[in-house]
Amino acid sequence: MFKKPPILILLDLLSIVLVPAALILILFFTPVEAVMGPVQKVFYFHVSAAWAGMLSFIIAAAAGAGYLIRRDLKWDQLSLSAIEVGVVFGLIAILSGMIWARPIWNTWWVWDPRLTTTAIMELIYLAYFILRSGLATPEARARLGAVYAIVSVITVPLTFFSIRLFRTIHPVVIAPSEGGAGFNMSPRMQFAFFISLAVFTVLLIDLIWNRTRLAAAQAKIQMGEN
Amino acid sequence: MKQTHADSLSARIEVSGLVKKYQYQPVLDQLSLTVEDGDLCVLVGANGAGKTTLLRILAGLVRADTGQILLGGVPLRADPGIRKQIGYIGHASLFYNDLNALENLTHYARLYHINPLESTVVESIRSVGLEPHQHKPLRTYSRGMGQRLAIARALLHDPAILLFDEPYTGLDQEGAAFLDDRLRRLQGPSRAILLAAHRPQRLLQIATHIAWLREGKIVQHLPVNRLSEAPELRQYLQETA
Amino acid sequence: MTYLQTVWQVFRKDVQVEWRGRQGVPVMLVFALLMAFLFNFALQLSPDLQAGLAAGLLWVSLAFASTLGLNRSVSLERENLALDGLLLAPVDRSAIFFGKAWSNLIFTLLVALMLLPVFSLFYGQNMLKPGLLLVILLGLGAYTSLGTLLAALSIQARTRDVLLPILLYPLALPVLIAAVEASRGVLSAQPLGELRSWIFLLLACDILFTAAGLLFFETILEE
Repeated sequence: MFKKPPILILLDLLSIVLVPAALILILFFTPVEAVMGPVQKVFYFHVSAAWAGMLSFIIAAAAGAGYLIRRDLKWDQLSLSAIEVGVVFGLIAILSGMIWARPIWNTWWVWDPRLTTTAIMELIYLAYFILRSGLATPEARARLGAVYAIVSVITVPLTFFSIRLFRTIHPVVIAPSEGGAGFNMSPRMQFAFFISLAVFTVLLIDLIWNRTRLAAAQAKIQMGEN
Repeated sequence: MKQTHADSLSARIEVSGLVKKYQYQPVLDQLSLTVEDGDLCVLVGANGAGKTTLLRILAGLVRADTGQILLGGVPLRADPGIRKQIGYIGHASLFYNDLNALENLTHYARLYHINPLESTVVESIRSVGLEPHQHKPLRTYSRGMGQRLAIARALLHDPAILLFDEPYTGLDQEGAAFLDDRLRRLQGPSRAILLAAHRPQRLLQIATHIAWLREGKIVQHLPVNRLSEAPELRQYLQETA
Repeated sequence: MTYLQTVWQVFRKDVQVEWRGRQGVPVMLVFALLMAFLFNFALQLSPDLQAGLAAGLLWVSLAFASTLGLNRSVSLERENLALDGLLLAPVDRSAIFFGKAWSNLIFTLLVALMLLPVFSLFYGQNMLKPGLLLVILLGLGAYTSLGTLLAALSIQARTRDVLLPILLYPLALPVLIAAVEASRGVLSAQPLGELRSWIFLLLACDILFTAAGLLFFETILEE
């Protein structure tokens, strides 16, 4: 009954192959950036992870809306999984951002709008889990989780703009420049960048799908127990 | 004082295929029931059988997973205005402890847009015998007094459909007799009453019908005068007397 | 018409209960004042503060104090399940949201108004400026709308009292940033025109969170 669909097996294999392939591409086939040096290569996975995280949260909000309309717990399983995966990608984005910042700007943390917004999003979605853990029934968790996921994702652009506006008024002397990565991308870099984005998107779908199946299995067990 | 009301739909509760799950388990499982205009139907069943859930769904407080509910032929969810026809008594009193009886009932009278406001509220409090206590905050009320005021609250807007969940809880002899009498006078045309009772014996005198909720369904629903045809139900009633 | 009447009645009832019990406004005010003292010593503040710091302190105090009021407003409805009574009313449930959001707003505004002269005194800043009142109105409007929505959410959890701050603060950040920046601008005598972006951001938050309340309040409350 719980046989893995062939497409998912294919996605698993693709992910297993593509991620190291992308890594090799970045390490050996992209040029070393003039000013920042080799550490700049963190950027490829850093931005891809941030993108994957944001996409996950959007999927979670859409799945939440799906639950509220259809009231089928499968939608909630998808929403929960997407948020979990999104939190992990967000963490990767933050950590890689910190690794990137250290040798270049001589500090572990920069109050850059994107990094700060990502950190706040992590807090928002960690709160999601705290909310769920305080609710007694799966139906309440699904319903209230859905509302929270939708409201949360909508505040993200507001948070980003408010921090960005704040930064233009209170600039920090040493900070990555806005609207870019702080360097120009050569064609080879652009190629590697888009490959990274694609690979992370595949990885994202693979992880969310697997996690959703796990959530469905957990639900089945609980149903059997009752 | 027989109660009548002006702007009512026909008082009829029709439930079909109602499902409500908690923790993946169906508490109500394809439940169907019809309470006709003029019925006073006593809902019996064990603790946790789903009586409260059913009444709360009918009152619009809980949303069913699937199923259809028609009140007076109109779907419950079609229009919030339909709730004007519903009078509900639950396990809690629904009052604000810091406010007194007059203020609490006035609040509800305003929520239901009752006109004339003051006289209806005053009369309502008087009719449940709480006039001497009407200026005291609800936190000073005993359980029985609170329950009597809850009855006043439920009937304040003269609803056609009454949903009472164990209304005798907390009432003393006098209070229970008062409620008996009130129910007797309420039962009749243009009114449908569904009343959950854990110990339904006393109600068999007043009720027109009896419905047995078991395993999420109504397994028996018949007029009280035909109770002899249902030995299992009779036995259940005797056991819970 | 009946919708507005219901909003008004919910609002009026909240004010009536508050007047009778006085559990909301005095508690919030005392808490905010305590915070002012705490900050003064914890941050070793000088008696004549920069506008930005004063604005920041004002909003942090208001943000923390108002969670007490928000919690109180919903726990009121838990007693005797009074909320069921509101849900039974023959009107769209979003009317309950507006009634409660606006009563929360009024109470928090009262606290803010009482706080302004005190802060002016403590921090040597004249805070009684009309521009600031506008910012406070817009900022608290957005904050209490979001707070009312999230309070309705958190009340259903076991961890209800601690949950509201955890849910509210990160989501309310754009409101707080905009409110602090706009307040700072007003206090440093910047013309309101220059603070346009912040005011627009506050308005956007007001609209967004009010819309969220309109959309989701019923879903949150109906089991």
